[in-house]
Amino acid sequence: MGYYDGLFDALGLRDWCGGGAAQDGPMTMAQLLARSRGGGEGEAVATTPWWQVPFPSLDTLNASCPAIWRTRDLTAWVADGFLAIKNTLKVVLDPLTQPLSWLLDGAIWAMLAVPWWVLVAILLVAVGLLTRSATLTASVCLSLLFLAFIDHFDYAMQTLSIIFVCTTICVVLGVPIGIAMSKRDGFQRSMVPLLDMLQTLPTFVYLIPLIFLFSVTESKLYGIAIILYAIVPVIRLTDLGIRLVDKDVLEAADAFGMTPRQRLLGVEIPLALPNIMAGINQTIMMALAMVVIASLVSAPGLGVLVLRGIRNLELGVGLIAGFSIVILAVILDRVSKAAVGRISALTPG
Amino acid sequence: MSEMEKAGKVETLAAVLADGGIEGWFVPSYLIDEHPELATIDGVLANPDLVGGRFHNCPEGWGCRTKNDNFKVAYGLEEAGFEVFDHGSGETLATSLASAYEDRAPWFGYYWQPTSLLGRYEMVKVDMGPYDAERHACIAREDCADPQRTDFQTADVVTGVTTDFAEREPAIAELMSKVSFTNAQMSELLAWQEQNKASAEEVAVKFLSENPDVWSAWLNDDARVNLAPLLSQ
Repeated sequence: MGYYDGLFDALGLRDWCGGGAAQDGPMTMAQLLARSRGGGEGEAVATTPWWQVPFPSLDTLNASCPAIWRTRDLTAWVADGFLAIKNTLKVVLDPLTQPLSWLLDGAIWAMLAVPWWVLVAILLVAVGLLTRSATLTASVCLSLLFLAFIDHFDYAMQTLSIIFVCTTICVVLGVPIGIAMSKRDGFQRSMVPLLDMLQTLPTFVYLIPLIFLFSVTESKLYGIAIILYAIVPVIRLTDLGIRLVDKDVLEAADAFGMTPRQRLLGVEIPLALPNIMAGINQTIMMALAMVVIASLVSAPGLGVLVLRGIRNLELGVGLIAGFSIVILAVILDRVSKAAVGRISALTPG
Repeated sequence: MSEMEKAGKVETLAAVLADGGIEGWFVPSYLIDEHPELATIDGVLANPDLVGGRFHNCPEGWGCRTKNDNFKVAYGLEEAGFEVFDHGSGETLATSLASAYEDRAPWFGYYWQPTSLLGRYEMVKVDMGPYDAERHACIAREDCADPQRTDFQTADVVTGVTTDFAEREPAIAELMSKVSFTNAQMSELLAWQEQNKASAEEVAVKFLSENPDVWSAWLNDDARVNLAPLLSQ
């Protein structure tokens, strides 16, 4: 018995609706209250003033016409539809993404298995080679030792290994996608909405299908979530960088009779490198931004401590862990920026 | 008694779940049907492969995480060949249980009831031996030096109000002091809600319309007169 009973009667749809008396779904509180007053169920409807007309939503229409679905049927269908294709998707995606689990587990295991002083030394040498800056290397050294001093070294290294693996995969997949986008306008037009969606979709929303698709105990679950979120800037900036290469330079390359392959590897990519590196820098930062959310799907690392701080209201634990993430972020940002600067300085023009 | 209770700021009205909250280590009933020995903790420890070789642990920051981390030492989970998987959130813990149950796959881990999940899926609490208050007190501490075997404590789940509220609304406080559910009732309602995708309000209506004999005992005489049309059905 709903507000729009008259409408369906007037349109002659009552038969299609299957009569007005059917009670489909659970009784509502309003109906129960009406019954407790001992009156008829239609009473409440008759007294609805005109300015309180309910919006003709699915649920309201269903009250008048049981043949119309309720919103919860709609959500049930989405769920059923997803579950129906789930097994097929799983057969395809599960083996395809399995190496990601191995990589993540392997990287985390390796980071924790190596003695701390060896690990610090390796990281410092890498920073030194990338940036050629003594002050930066010294400040990275201090930051790492500080993290170790407050017993957050293992957590930080777990987070760092997740970021390394995910960023590497983002670059390996993202740069070719970006190059393809810069070469084909049609491909770019179809990719841009997808990239926009990946960046705006709340991360929890794409965690939901992932949880159903893969076993929740697999590390690839958070790996995929991080990669989907972090891959966008490297694709965008690769595309942009190659499109921004000076037309005169390309004309010269053509005039010298370069093949498309030579032109791409010898001219376009080197000239676009500063932009690509800026994209990689952004990708690293976005991967780091995901660590707390990834911890909700069992990613180890500093995010776990932040969650613990939130859950138990352990203010100190949460703040220190958050501060450690900031330290990691500053290190990663400075080092990748310095590397970009060095590469830009090397690039002519 | 909590500090707030001692200070006279809050008071406990009733044990809203008569059986208390039950936490423990669970295995699906279909595993027990096939392998009855899994009903006890020693049976589980002797057969890690039958339950999947993995213990599904609570997320960091939950009270049960501390207990489980001590329990796993007391029962020698890792020595018995179990991989302890620390879940990131209650959602993934629940999903792992649900998807294992749907596939009739082995599962062994921590859960608690009454919950809609255990109302829907038939799980058996693994017999962890007798409950020992002193040992359990140690298990519940993070710095427990020497965890010993004991069962989980049944948790009290109570309705509490501030004393202000009890003074201002004596009739409601009196009602709430009588409201109490058994775990079976609560699990059934929660499972029904889950299956019908019903709102909390609809569950309340279902309970009120189908179980007047249960809730009529909670009312005082005035209310019983007011609600006579509902009660007489």
